[in-house]
Amino acid sequence: MSRVKRIAKELEECRQDSQSGVILKLNNENDLTHLTGYFKGPPGTPYQGGVFQVNIDIPNEYPFKPPQMKFTTKIYHPNISSVTGAICLDILKDAWTPILTLKSSLISLQSLLQSPEPNDPQDAEVAKHYLSNKAGFEETAAYWTKLYASPEDGGEFGSVQVSDSALYGIDDEIVGQFENMGFPRDKTIEVLRRMGVKSFKGVGNKPELENKILEELLKECQ
Amino acid sequence: MKVKILEWKSFATWHWDLATSADDSGYVEELCGICRVSFDGTCPNCKYPGDDCPIVLGSGCTHNFHLHCILKWLEQESSKGLCPMCRQIFTFKEPEQTSDVLINLKTLIDGHRVMRERFQQGNEQEFEAFGADQDLQMA
Repeated sequence: MSRVKRIAKELEECRQDSQSGVILKLNNENDLTHLTGYFKGPPGTPYQGGVFQVNIDIPNEYPFKPPQMKFTTKIYHPNISSVTGAICLDILKDAWTPILTLKSSLISLQSLLQSPEPNDPQDAEVAKHYLSNKAGFEETAAYWTKLYASPEDGGEFGSVQVSDSALYGIDDEIVGQFENMGFPRDKTIEVLRRMGVKSFKGVGNKPELENKILEELLKECQ
Repeated sequence: MKVKILEWKSFATWHWDLATSADDSGYVEELCGICRVSFDGTCPNCKYPGDDCPIVLGSGCTHNFHLHCILKWLEQESSKGLCPMCRQIFTFKEPEQTSDVLINLKTLIDGHRVMRERFQQGNEQEFEAFGADQDLQMA
């Protein structure tokens, strides 16, 4: 089979290349079609300091069909599903050509982290956050990196307490406000997520928005 | 001094004469971008290099591949008839003698051209239909 030879070659090439910062590993020594790729978050982005893990499945028609890749590390990025890790990148779909390799695809993913395309989103909620409040988006993305993509021995993350509001980029103040009124925290976050409300900053008519949230919450808690 | 040769062994090496490897300083081994095997080796499905597993020279671009590899790529609809390296429409330099495989390659390339033309025509028709629709509204 033609793909086996090529994958073996690619693996060997990647093993010898320590410059690229991309690591390829077989999930099982006897199976060349299921691999895991690792790379570092690019510096100067909210993903800096993280190590991202990508699951790679190689189709029978490889290299004539693209490898199937998805993130196993949770990541907050407009072109990557925050739930499933599915990736929206043209070269992994219709722009694939057989001269691309597993290594070059992983490098493309790394550069996707550097330059998101919010106008062609995979995760609409994240893309909306990116377009409406870039600083808030970056904060959340950095938080996810610290939480999910930090190397286990880093120690930095072991002690971090998971904050459910920061996870979705929601201002803790709002959640607190409704919590004080007696609404459960999880329901409040759920409603705010659904409504796409992250913070009251820059909101023109704050009382109106507050009322809308209240209405939704009352419906939710009936 | 007289030397008497008792025995001798001859060796010969060969490699494909590729336009892009015309470097006087020495021969650089080049890989087929599709299977990542040297051009002087074979594509993954062949046993013997050389005439059994020939090279195709791109004529639009200057990108070369094992004939069997580029055939397999162009068989994919997703290739859209483009060169894997530069995404230009792939055409090739025809050697003096043609073979069945080369005829296959030609058929594939023609097939992609027809598809492209049909696609283009389809777009134009849609555009015309849209224009006609507008006229109707204007009237």
